This record gives sequence, structure tokens and C-alpha cells, in this order.
Amino acid sequence: MYCKSTKVVNATGLHARPAADFVKVSKKFDSKITVTRENDPKNVKANGKSLISILALCATKDSVIHIAAEGADEVEAVETLAALVDSGLGE
Amino acid sequence: MDKTQNESISLKGNPVSRGIAAGRVFWYEPFVPDIKECHIEAAGTEAALRKYEEAVAAARKELQDVYESLKEEDEHRAGIFLAHMEILEDEMLDEEIRSAIGESLSEPGWAAERVYSNYAKLLGEMEDELIRERAADIMDVKNRLLRCFQGVPQRNLSRLPGAVIVAAHDLLPSDTATIDRENVLAIVTEAGGATSHSAILAKGFGIPALLGIKGLKDALGREEAATAACEVPGEMRAATAVGNVLDEAGAGVAVVDALDGVLIVNPDKDTREHYFKRLGKWEEEQRLTREFLRREPLTKDGVRIEIGQNIGSAAREALAASGYTDFVGLFRTEFLFMEKESMPTEEEQFVAYCKVLKAYGGRPVTVRTLDIGGDKTLPYLEQEKEENPFLGNRALRLCFENPCLFKTQLRALYRASVHGKLQIMLPMVGGMDDILRAKQIIGDVKNELAAEGIAISQDVKVGIMIEIPSIALLADVVAKEVDFASIGTNDLCQYLLAADRMNPAVASYYQSYHPALYRLIGYVADEFQKAGKPLCVCGELGGDRLTVPVLVGLGLRKLSMGGSSVCEVKRVLSKMTVARMEELAAKVKACKTDQEVRDLCEKYMENTLGND
Repeated sequence: MYCKSTKVVNATGLHARPAADFVKVSKKFDSKITVTRENDPKNVKANGKSLISILALCATKDSVIHIAAEGADEVEAVETLAALVDSGLGE
Repeated sequence: MDKTQNESISLKGNPVSRGIAAGRVFWYEPFVPDIKECHIEAAGTEAALRKYEEAVAAARKELQDVYESLKEEDEHRAGIFLAHMEILEDEMLDEEIRSAIGESLSEPGWAAERVYSNYAKLLGEMEDELIRERAADIMDVKNRLLRCFQGVPQRNLSRLPGAVIVAAHDLLPSDTATIDRENVLAIVTEAGGATSHSAILAKGFGIPALLGIKGLKDALGREEAATAACEVPGEMRAATAVGNVLDEAGAGVAVVDALDGVLIVNPDKDTREHYFKRLGKWEEEQRLTREFLRREPLTKDGVRIEIGQNIGSAAREALAASGYTDFVGLFRTEFLFMEKESMPTEEEQFVAYCKVLKAYGGRPVTVRTLDIGGDKTLPYLEQEKEENPFLGNRALRLCFENPCLFKTQLRALYRASVHGKLQIMLPMVGGMDDILRAKQIIGDVKNELAAEGIAISQDVKVGIMIEIPSIALLADVVAKEVDFASIGTNDLCQYLLAADRMNPAVASYYQSYHPALYRLIGYVADEFQKAGKPLCVCGELGGDRLTVPVLVGLGLRKLSMGGSSVCEVKRVLSKMTVARMEELAAKVKACKTDQEVRDLCEKYMENTLGND
């Protein structure tokens, strides 16, 4: 298992198109990917490969998220996704 | 038929798509799954999982079929069904349903019901409107899936029993997207807001729609309206149905007034007569509008005026007018920059420019380079706070200061130039040195692209906006240097009259009918005519019914405007000869005040349209 925390910087957060982009990238990896949000009262454990799940995470701008992966390509998966979030998800 | 059935009921609703309709009401009762908590034996999990998989496969096939049947005709509507397929195959929903079956031993229908509803509720409670709309999609897919479980055939609105008003508690995205457009007179629902899928689709189709009508079902329930609707013969055309209904009356009839937001069930004689007249007027107005929309823009004596469109984005709706306009007179590129958190890449810009160029085929598309500053700012571009931003570092001036910004845009434009007929227009030009400096940078960009082996069109025209009085007064010199020019009347007016158009305190000094403005435009038009260079007006005045004849009278033959003004302008042009417009223009130049010009134009307009 490998994990990393990062801050959501783009304006819309992990919503709509940015969320779909995140899921699209997640699906390229074999590892199981889980995303959680710091201070989430509902403590949602989002499946990184499910759009509905990522939307339900409600990660708006400035929220801190933890990306965890478990599997053969876990390091690459987490690093790629964290970099994607840091880049502002194309916004 | 007893008396209560003829009682007239009036209900208020939210008119999300304008129009008037009258006819019989068809109450649509979509498939509503009736699922109760139900469990299975541990030994039955495999069979239950198979049942779930079969239902998913059946639902997927339905979605695939609708998608295929729609994709040629309407990419946007087809996209709804693609999104539904994604939901159906969502990894988490799938996993949770499987575990509810395999571990909690839920009956598969109950498992799907619970998992889907749970997430629809979660998303439906979110602040973000776009996400809340996804909740409607999830419920839509859930209903489809549960229906497939039960082996119930699809129920939708793709075949209506004749021309009817469709009424329902709520319409799901898939209902509206596949609605029988030949026969739907109007849509009325109990639920729904202005931003819902149904509202957007109804507007796109031009179907009058009244949503959020409280007590709709009760009001219609009394009428037994749904059965009445089925008796309407299928071949009856929508328009005749409306007329007949208002003429003859009858039970189970309603009037949808999606102008004022009222639904009248079982209208009495007076109401029917009132709406009969109102409908006639509305239809006449619509007919006139439509008639002129696609007409060739000719003056009464047959002089061809070129009509352009101003657009602010590359969206489908913005490009809808490409079928009945000659060119794009102003493509504001700010939207590409203002909607973003960071500067749009060359590639993003390239895609947007290509889209517009392709939509207009070989016809000219005039792209204005970035016009930021003044009232518009960019979050990622630091700008000094200025005392007078409109007189400050804006548009071309700002681009000179940020050559990177400017060059990226020019690169994207030239790369796109091979896909259509591109014209590049520079805003906020004050003197010849601005033009020469910009041309130098354009030359550099072209050389760079050539060195990289990237193909560009050799036929890109470069022109300017005329919005600063100094450049207008140099029209004779400028006309020799540029390929074309376009008068931005909003800014020209504010700079000429020294009245900030954003400042309400001086609103009365911002006089767009000021005679000085027309003298100046007349001078520019004369000089461009002498030089044989094209000149256009792309400000508000270009689409103003009162000033259009004046502009043509001053010598303009190209006008560019917002899509909604096109019909009216074409109609006004068709009523006047050029000689009469020249006579008007000469009088306008001799006027003393803004009010005098306005009165004169109105008088001419009245005389002209009055003689129809």
C-alpha cells in the first residue's frame, strides 16, 4: 500500500469534468485506488475508479485529500494521480 | 359529463421555455419501480448475481440502441445516454450491489434500489447544481435497471397519441431526450427547475414548457385527461389541434401560457377567446421572425447587405446562427481566458478556433485578439490597479506588455487558419504605431511556425477595431495599412463622449444616438470606401433596428450583431430603399442632439413598418 496527501487547487474541485478526468486516469492502473478527504464528517472512502464515488466525496477547492493505492503499480498510480490533482486537472 | 368537469382551474408554473399552446393533456405515468426489502437464501446468491448481470446487460442494450439512434441527429442528446451507460457500469455502484447480494443476501432488485437511491440522495443534497443534476441521471438509470429486472418493456414519450400537452410529475432526462417532437405541444410538470435537463432540452427544441406546477396531478385528475388524449387521431397536426381546441372547447383541454407562467385547465369561453387571439398574435410574430431568419438580407431596392454574427464562445448554441448569417463579425475570445484558473494552452485555443472556422465553412470568421482590462480581468494575470482602467492598460496594450500571452494566441490562430477563412482583428488601436508593432509580432509568429514546418493559410486578413476616436480620424491613412476594419460602437461612443459606460452616474451622458457619433462613422465609412477596404459595424448599434438604416445610409454594407437581432434587422432592411436610408443618414448628421436623432429614427421606422 502506498499513499499520499495533496490539496485540491482547481476552482471547481473534484467535480464534473475534473472528476471524470481523475477517474479516467485511475482506470489505467491495476491497483485498487481509494480516495478520502480530510475532515470529512461522513468519512467517505471513495473508489478512485468510480465517478459517482468521487463526486460523493465532495472534494471542493482547497480540501486536502489522501490518495491510496494497493497493487502492483501502486506507487506509479498514486504519484500520477497526485501530480494530476496538483496540476489543477486541466483547469 | 357532470358540471365539475368543466370547472376552470388556473395554476402557476415556471415558464422555462417560452410559448403558448393549447390542446388535450396527456398524463405520462413513467415506470415507477415498486421494490420492497427482500432477501434471498445463501444458496441462491449465484443465481441472484446472474439475474443482476442479465438486467444490466438488458439495460445496456437499451441505452446503446437509443444512443445509436440519436447520435447522428443530435450529439448532445445522445451524450445523455452515453453518460447513463457510464453510470450503469460504474465500478463502485457495481461492487456495492454485488456485495449487497453476495454478503447481505439482498434480493438483486432491492440491492440495486438501495445502492442507487443512496447515491442519488447523497448527490442530490450537494450544493453544486451540476452534481445535483447527476442525481436525476442516477435515478433514471436505476428505474431502467429495475424495469429490466422485472422484464417490463420500455415506456417513454417517443410515440404520443396525437398532438398533446405532455403532463407528468417529473420527466427524467431520458424521457425528454426521446420525446415525440412532432406531436408534443407543450410540457408541464409538477417538479423541475429552470436548470434541469428537461428545461434545457425543451428550450433547445422550442417546446413551450411550464415546470414546478403545484397541484398539477390533482387538477388534471378531475379531468380524466389521460384517456381523452388517446382519442386524438395520430395524424392530426399540432397547429390545427391548437386552433380547433380553442375554437370548440371541450373537457380535458388546457391552455399552457409559457409567457406569463400560467396553466389553465378547462378554460372557460372568455379565456379561450382571449388565448385564441393571443396565440394568433404569438404565432404571427414567430412566423415573421422565422420567415426573415433565413431570408437573404436585401434592402427594398435589392442591395445586398452582409449580416454577420457576434459570438462569445465556440459552443453549439453560439454557432447555431451559422446557417443564416454570412460571416462572424466578432468572435470575442475572452471566454477562453476568463473561465479558466490559468492561461489556456495553445492547444485549447486551437481547438476552439478550429471549431468556429469549420462551422462557418469557407465564410470569414473575424477573431478579435484578447480584449482584457477595462471591465474585464483575469485571475491569473496580475495587473496594477488603475485609476481609469478604460483609459489604461487594456486589450492590445496589455498584449504588448505580455508578449507571451499574445504570441500564444496568434500561434493558435495561425495554426487554425488552414481550417477556414480567418480574419484577425486587433482591439484598442490608437495610432499607426500600434498597428505596425502588432504586425511585427504577427510576422515573427508566422516565421516561427514556418521554421517549425507548420502549415498556415497565406490568406489571413489582419484588421483593426475602430473604437478610439484618434484612429477613426486617421481613417484615410489606416485604410491603406489594414485589410479591413470594424467599428466597435460601444467603446467608440464612450471614448468620443468621455462617458464611462460602466458608471451609472454618467449613464445619461453615454448617448449612443449622439449626432457626433454618426458624423464620425460617416467619415470612416467614406474613407474605407475610397480605399476599397471592407468596413463593418460590430457594436450594439449594428443590431439596433433604429440605427441600422442610418448605418446603411452612411455607406456601411456589413453589419454584425448578436444572433437574436438577425431577423429583425433583415426585416427592417427589406422595408427601406438605400436612397431613403441615405436621406435619413444625412438628416441624422445635421441633428443637434441625441434626442433629436432618436425621434427622427423612430419616425422613419414608424412610417416604414406602418406601410406594410
